[in-house]
Amino acid sequence: MPNTDSPYDAVVVGASLAGCATAIQLGRAGLRVAVIEKQPDPQAYKRICSHFIQASGVPAIERLGLLEPIEAAGGQRPRVHAWSQWGWIEAPPEQAGRGINLRREVLDPLVRTTAAETPGVEMMLGWSAERLLRENGSFAGVAVRNPDGEERELRARLTVGADGRDSRIAELSEVPVKTSPNARFAYGGYFEGGTPAHAPDASVWFLDPQWAAAFPTDTDLTFYAAMPTKERLPEFKRDPEGALVRFLADIPEAPPIREGRLVGSVMGKVDMTNRMRRPVAPGLALVGDAALAADPLFGVGCGWAFQSAGWLSDAVLPALTGEQPLEKGLDRYRRRHAKELRGHTFFMHDYSKGRRFNPMERMMFAAAARDGRAAAIVDSFATRQIGPAQMMPRMLPRAIAVNARHALAR
Amino acid sequence: MSTEIKRSSLLAGGTRTRLVQAGPADASEALVFVHGNPGSADDWVRLVGAAGAAGHRAVAFDLPDFGETVAPDGFEHTPFGYAEFVAEALEELGIERAHLVLHDFGGPIGLVWAMAHPDALAGIVLIDTGVLPGYTWHTLARIWRTPVLGEVFQAITNRRGYRFALNRNEPRGLPREFVEAMYDNYDRRTRRAVLKLYRATPDPGGMSENLIGILAPRDIPALVIWGEDDAYLPSSYAAEQERAFPSADVHVLPASGHWPFADAPETVERLLVDFLDRAGAPEASRPEG
Repeated sequence: MPNTDSPYDAVVVGASLAGCATAIQLGRAGLRVAVIEKQPDPQAYKRICSHFIQASGVPAIERLGLLEPIEAAGGQRPRVHAWSQWGWIEAPPEQAGRGINLRREVLDPLVRTTAAETPGVEMMLGWSAERLLRENGSFAGVAVRNPDGEERELRARLTVGADGRDSRIAELSEVPVKTSPNARFAYGGYFEGGTPAHAPDASVWFLDPQWAAAFPTDTDLTFYAAMPTKERLPEFKRDPEGALVRFLADIPEAPPIREGRLVGSVMGKVDMTNRMRRPVAPGLALVGDAALAADPLFGVGCGWAFQSAGWLSDAVLPALTGEQPLEKGLDRYRRRHAKELRGHTFFMHDYSKGRRFNPMERMMFAAAARDGRAAAIVDSFATRQIGPAQMMPRMLPRAIAVNARHALAR
Repeated sequence: MSTEIKRSSLLAGGTRTRLVQAGPADASEALVFVHGNPGSADDWVRLVGAAGAAGHRAVAFDLPDFGETVAPDGFEHTPFGYAEFVAEALEELGIERAHLVLHDFGGPIGLVWAMAHPDALAGIVLIDTGVLPGYTWHTLARIWRTPVLGEVFQAITNRRGYRFALNRNEPRGLPREFVEAMYDNYDRRTRRAVLKLYRATPDPGGMSENLIGILAPRDIPALVIWGEDDAYLPSSYAAEQERAFPSADVHVLPASGHWPFADAPETVERLLVDFLDRAGAPEASRPEG
């Protein structure tokens, strides 16, 4: 017979960024939260990740009180320089968004420790979710099991799936999912030396349709990444390190990756299918990649994990601490999630097809490479601080004017 | 890196061609650059200089009816006629072993030469060219190959149209001076030569299996560079070069088109110099009998 504990306010499945951020905020509000994590090692971290956090995620991190510890741990605060065939797109320094670069090896334990030390949060490492509990047509917690086969039922008013792109909770809850294909794959690795020109800022290359990036990070390492279309896959499978170095060295204004030395191994991810799930069900919510696994090319995963955790906490706290029905809070979260991210994902998923730039993108990238103000608008959008609905009306007239001026000056 | 790039002329195959040279002038082993269409010895100035600075003899010349060089009467405008011209030029220059650097139509021409002189081929650098099994001509070539249509097309092509048509197919555009120089050389003589050459080449992939059969067992040191967005010869052929050159070092350059030496000159130069370093010291240092 499985043990049945006294009910929690919330049970969070997954002690990575989104799960821990949710637990910290609910715990600080005085709630009792269980966090389930199948990795028994408290130092565990996500291995396949560019670790880049867009500027959009920084306020959510600051709110958790994690920005200072992250900077103290060596986290960098990069702007992004984007190469295009029309030149580098660089917003004026004071207007450019600043993200965060800290290796997941450092970031994940830092965030997990903070969660574990939050009063009201019970960290259960080495336990995995087996099935969801149900009560009166609503989800009501989760049954978990450890490697010794011990099973427990954790009852909770709110169940949170924060278990990533391949979310088991999403699968068990059978929330609707939409997928769209990704024609690119990703390989990347950490290099010592061979520091790119814009360090400590990040550089990305829109090679239309190929893509590459250099993220200088803590301890003077640089994470080099390539996201080519799948025709390139055989050479990467055959020799991951050789292909990565060769790819980065062969691009325009190439970084000096050949002068660097690989630290650890080159990691690859071949299936990067975009998954968008309905982020709520009765008594249940999904955060981070479990709710939306968007194209890693845009580096939004880590930032959106923190942000979606914040939106969920804000939306459900009135219900979990007071009298409001939970369904209302969940609906508020669903609407917020859609409002903040739907516009971005529409454009991302379309670009995931591996296609070349469309005429509108060509016009905007060209203008941004030629003009600082246009670059600042594109920067705010690319760092996900404004959505397409705010970007377009500002960008289109500017882009038309800048490109017309450029054409006349020739 | 400064090395002297010498411009002169050379009598070969019954005509006088323009010659661009660098490095030790009396070496019997040399890099031999063969341009494509449109193209000329001018395409190679930077790379000839880089190879010379790296201690290698390097030579580039106009093919007959390209650049400023006029074909002699009765010249055969076919890959075989041009390969014969390459052979005669090398003989005049005293080059006994060659590292061929080939671009575009220089590919079929150089490979025909290699088929006839496999022992004299020390190494090969293929830039957006090579063996092309199954290749069918690009649109422009099909126009050139069509009687009357080809003539009309060549007659109406003007500088603006030429520049527009070229750049439209290039991912990054080409340097203005490069395109202008190319058009300057694209005179009536060259236009007629192009029609003859393409019409004499019905099946550009036809020789591939023969070439592979002769070259592959020799495992000749090879460097393959291909602009990923080449609109004329698709970059999917880059990896296929390993069938003829099993040890080839293959580089498909992102955001580059049909003329990587024009749109990615630093990268191409680095790859070439690295390749020469790996291929070892030039044989120039060896005494020759």
